[in-house]
Amino acid sequence: MREPFALDRKGRIKVKLDINEVAVLGQLVPLLVAESPSPTEPRGRLPVYPGSPGDDEEFWRLMGSELTSDRADDRTRFEETLGGAERGAVLSEGEAESWLRVLGEARLVLAVRLGIKEESDYDRARRDGGAEMATLDYLGYLQASLAMALTRSS
Amino acid sequence: MVGELTSALPVRTDRPDVDDVVAGDSPWNVVVWNDPVNLMEYVVYVFRKLFGHSPEEATRLMLAVHHEGRAVVASGPREKSEVDCYRLHHYGLWATLEKT
Repeated sequence: MREPFALDRKGRIKVKLDINEVAVLGQLVPLLVAESPSPTEPRGRLPVYPGSPGDDEEFWRLMGSELTSDRADDRTRFEETLGGAERGAVLSEGEAESWLRVLGEARLVLAVRLGIKEESDYDRARRDGGAEMATLDYLGYLQASLAMALTRSS
Repeated sequence: MVGELTSALPVRTDRPDVDDVVAGDSPWNVVVWNDPVNLMEYVVYVFRKLFGHSPEEATRLMLAVHHEGRAVVASGPREKSEVDCYRLHHYGLWATLEKT
């Protein structure tokens, strides 16, 4: 089976996907825009200072808009480079990192939709989750492959 | 020269508020919590990328998160720890801060 992410002769990350894979990934950003419960956190805003609501509010007041902006940049870079993946495209490290985070964010959103809160929820989700569960697994496969490629390239 | 000698003499000051000094200087721990979605390979990669951990150390921390529910992945001054925490959230990991 061909790896979706590989290193070229210069040690750069190359992505090569088929037309169906590109079609699936083309739905990710619209999914994130439509379904993410919070622009800053796909699972809702997670506390950074669990025992101190005031500090937590202050943290997110200062950092929330930056995280939203960084995630928007990731999505833009992902969409800009996805088009070339069918014929094979070289990703810069920054672009590959954006892919990694978008894949992860999409997995978190899908997990919320599938009601996965604990590892024991996977059995039910695999039984009932249909296409969304298959997409969650597929994105995990892509993310692991990309993380390994990034590790080898560094 | 006289001025220099004078300025070097000890000056009596009020006792500093020791509690405030210790609280301000005490480092903060960055804690990563287990979640059922992020993959082990991904978490190891993130720990190595953000903190420069060796593969062995990153794997040890990932397994601690997985088996014990949480692990301290970095420590430092509050400002730096908040940046670390922010970067972990950017990668989709749940990180919190706690005073050591």
